[in-house]
Amino acid sequence: MSDMLLEIGKNPQARKLLKTLGLPLPIPEALRREKGAIRARPLQDRKVIVAGKGELVGVVAETLAAAGADPYVDESIRAAFVAPGETFGRPPRAIEAEGRVDAIVFDGSAIASAKDLHALYESLHPLVSRLSRSGRVVVLGRPAAGLVPEAAAAQNALDGFVRSVAKEIGKGGSTANLLIVEKGGEKRVAAVLRFALSAKSAFVTGQPIHITARAKGGDEPALVRGLEKKVALVTGVARGIGAATAKALADEGAHVICLDRPADDTATTQLAREIGGTPLLVDLAEADAVAKIIDAVKARGGVDVIVHNAGITRDKTLARMKPEQWDSVLDVNLGAVARVTDALLPHLRDGGRIICLSSVAGLAGNMGQTAYAASKAGIVGFVRAWAERLAARGVTVNAIAPGFIETRLTAAIPFAIREVARRLAALGQGGLPEDVANAITFVATPGAQGLTGQTLRVCGGALVGA
Amino acid sequence: MSNRRAVIVSGARTPFLKAFTDFTKLDTIGLGTAAVRGLMKKLNLGHGDIDAMVWGGVILPGTAPNVAREIALDLKLDPRCEGMTVTRACASGLQAITLAAAAIERGEYDVAIAGGSDSTSNAEIKLPQKVVHAVAPLALGGKASPADVLGVISQLAPFTDILPTRPKIAERSTGEVMGEAAEKMARRNEIPRAAQDEFAVRSHQRAAAAIAAGRFEEEIVPVQTPEGKWVHADGLVRADTSVERLARLRPVFAKDGTLTAGNSSALTDGAGAVLLMEESKAKALGYKPLAAFKSWSYVGVDPADQLLMGPALAMPKALERAGLDLAQIDLVDMHEAFAAQVLSILKMLASDGFARARLGRERAVGDIDPAKLNVHGGSLALGHPFGATGARMVTTMANELARTGKERALLGICAAGGLGAAAVLERV
Repeated sequence: MSDMLLEIGKNPQARKLLKTLGLPLPIPEALRREKGAIRARPLQDRKVIVAGKGELVGVVAETLAAAGADPYVDESIRAAFVAPGETFGRPPRAIEAEGRVDAIVFDGSAIASAKDLHALYESLHPLVSRLSRSGRVVVLGRPAAGLVPEAAAAQNALDGFVRSVAKEIGKGGSTANLLIVEKGGEKRVAAVLRFALSAKSAFVTGQPIHITARAKGGDEPALVRGLEKKVALVTGVARGIGAATAKALADEGAHVICLDRPADDTATTQLAREIGGTPLLVDLAEADAVAKIIDAVKARGGVDVIVHNAGITRDKTLARMKPEQWDSVLDVNLGAVARVTDALLPHLRDGGRIICLSSVAGLAGNMGQTAYAASKAGIVGFVRAWAERLAARGVTVNAIAPGFIETRLTAAIPFAIREVARRLAALGQGGLPEDVANAITFVATPGAQGLTGQTLRVCGGALVGA
Repeated sequence: MSNRRAVIVSGARTPFLKAFTDFTKLDTIGLGTAAVRGLMKKLNLGHGDIDAMVWGGVILPGTAPNVAREIALDLKLDPRCEGMTVTRACASGLQAITLAAAAIERGEYDVAIAGGSDSTSNAEIKLPQKVVHAVAPLALGGKASPADVLGVISQLAPFTDILPTRPKIAERSTGEVMGEAAEKMARRNEIPRAAQDEFAVRSHQRAAAAIAAGRFEEEIVPVQTPEGKWVHADGLVRADTSVERLARLRPVFAKDGTLTAGNSSALTDGAGAVLLMEESKAKALGYKPLAAFKSWSYVGVDPADQLLMGPALAMPKALERAGLDLAQIDLVDMHEAFAAQVLSILKMLASDGFARARLGRERAVGDIDPAKLNVHGGSLALGHPFGATGARMVTTMANELARTGKERALLGICAAGGLGAAAVLERV
C-alpha cells in the first residue's frame, strides 16, 4: 500500500540517483501536512506575495495579517496592508527580486478583458518558479454569470489558468486554486483563503471554490475550535476517511456520533472512546436504521453536522452486473443518504452542515463502476438541490469528491493501475484519508458559510474528471 | 469587609547587581531576606507584627521552593507569620503584591510583606530527565547487580544528550529564547535599532540621574555578602553610555538582528519587598501610606505570536477597571525586558487598528508621553532580577506619587509564557 516512489523521493541521495539515471519517473514531493486542530494563525511567518489590483485586496490584507502571514506586496496596493499590518505586527514589505516564497495570492476580481489578463501573466510569470515546496497559489475572481461577455470571458479564463498552473507546480507539492467570490460573499472569504493557503488543503488543487452569500448566517465566524458544543454524525467511521473525519471533527471540538455497521463494533467503539464521542452501531441497509439514528441524535439534543461517508463498491461491467449488486450500491450510496437526510432534517439545527461523499470516479466515469459512478454523480445533484432548499435556515450542503486516496479500498487495486492512478494527479501521488477529512472538516466549520451546493474535489489534481 | 483597603506603606530593595558578581554566593532566599530585613529595620517593625509573607520568584530553589516561608524563618520572625510563594514569570513580584493586597482587602491579613527575588547566579543546572529516569531505579531500588548498571549505561547512550543543560530562558511551548521573540517583535513592529538604542540610553541616563540625586536612597538597603563585603548601589547603570557606544555592539539573537546587550535587560541578582497594610491599621500604627491599588489586570496571549505584547492588553484592561483614560494617568512605569518590547507595546497602544481588533474599542488607548514614561529609568539600566522587578516598580511609583503629589501611575509588565500584567496605583 505504501507509495514506494514517494518514500524513495524523501531520501535526497536516492532522489539524486534516480535523476542521474534519467528514469522517466517524476518523483513526487512529500506534501507538507499539519496535524491537529485548525490553527489560529495557520500562515504563521509564511512569506506571501500579493499581486493584482482588485476589489478584494482589503479582505486579503486583513486575512493574511490575522493569519500570521508576512505580506510582500506591490506599491500600488500597499496602502490596504498598512492598518492590518500595524494591528497584527505584519507590516507590508516590498516584493524582493529573488528568494523563495511560500504563497502567491492574485486578486483578479477586477479583470474584465483579454487585455487585463496580461496582469496575471506579468505577476505570476516571474514568481511561479520561486514557489517553495508545498507552496500555494490562490487566485481570486468573480462569477462570470451576469457580466458583459468580454468580462465573463476574462473571469472564466481564470479557471483554465488556475487548473493549468496547478498541473505545472504540482511536482513541487504545490497547489493552485481559484476562489470565485460573489457580490456579498466578501465577508466570507477569510476562512476559505486561510484554508486554501494552509497545509490543511494539501491535496486540494486545480479547484474553483465559489464563495456566496446564499446560505444565511453570521459573517464573523469562529476561526478556531469552530465546532465546540456542536454535534456531528459521521457514517462509516470504522476506518479510512470516516475514521480520519471523526477525529478531525473532534479536534475542532465537536461531539461525534460514530456510526458504522455492527460488524465493525470493535473499531467503531474504540474510535468513539478515543475521541470522546458516541458509538452508534447501525447497518444503513436495515429497515430500522433511520429510527436508531434519530434516537441517537435526540439523545444529544439535535445535530449540527451530518457527514454521509458510508459507501460501498460492487464493481462489475454493466453487462456482468447482477441486479442485487446494482441495487445495493445505489441504495447505500444514494438511497440511505436521502433517507437519513430526510429523517434528520427536523433535528438538524439552523446553521448546520450536510456533507456527502462523492467521488472523482463519479464525476469522470470509470470502467466497471456504472452503479458506483451513478450513485456518486447523483450526490452532486442531491447537494445542489438541498443547498437551495436549506439556504434560508443557514444550512449548507456540499459534497467532497476524493480522488485517489491511500486506503484499504485502493490498496486492493492491481499494482499497475494503482501506480497510474497515483502518477496521473498533478501532485504525482495519492492523498491520505486525513486530506479528505481536513476538507470535510473545513466545510463543516462556521467559516465555510459561503460554500453551499458545491462539490469540492480532494484529488491532487487528478487528470480525469471536471 | 468590603470597605477594607490595602495600602502600600513602604518598599525596599537590595541593590541590583549583574549575575555572577558580588551576589553570586547569595541565593534567592538570601537576597529576599536582605530586602525584607532592610524594610523591617527602616520601618522599625517587630518580629511579631507581620501576618504573612507573600513572595514571587521565577527560578525557585528545588529544595525549598516556598521562598516566602524560608525568608520568614531565616529572619526568625514569629512562626505565626505564614508564607506563600507564587510564580508568574517576570510578573511574579507584582503578582505577590496584588495577592497580598487582595488578601488584606478580603480580611485575611492586616499586615503583609510582599515582593520577590531572583538569583540568576544560582539557577540550578538541571540533569536531563533521561538521566533521572534511567538512574532512579538504581538509586532508589535497593541492591543493583552489575547487569543493572550496564543496563542503565546502555539506556543513556548516546552520551551527548545526557550532559547537564545550560539553564536558559526558553519558552517551553515554542523553544524560543526570549531575545529571539523580542527580535521578532522588533522586526514585526518595525522598531529600528537606532530607536532601541536611544531608548536604552534614556533609561540609563534617567537611572543615573536618579542615583546622582539620591532618589533611590530611601528605596535601596545595603546588603552584606557572605564574604563580608557591603554593597550599597546598583551595579548595572552606566551614566556614560551613549547612542554611539551602543551602536557599536553586535546583535546577539540574530545575525542581521537589532537586539544587543545594550538594548536588552541583563541577567541580574536582586530582591525587592513592599509593606502592605489595611488602611485603618496603618493609620492606627501611625504610618503614612504612600499609595493604593485602584485596579490590576493579568492577561495571556499566544506565546507563539508576539510573546512580550501582554502589557498592550493588560494596561488598557487595568485602566478600564479603574474607570480611567490614559490622559488621567500621570506616570507610566513599564518593565523594560527589551527596548524593542517597550517600543512595540507603545506602538500597539497608539494604534486604532490594534484597539479595534484586539481590545474591542473604537479608538487607540493613546500615545504615552516619554516624559511620563519610566521617569527614573527601568530594567534596561537597573537590571531585572525577575521576581524583584514588580516590587521595584511598585516601590518607585508609590514613592513618586507621594513625593510629587501626582495622582495616578500605570504599571505594565511583560512575562514569559505570553503573559502580561498591569496595575493602576493611586496616591493615598
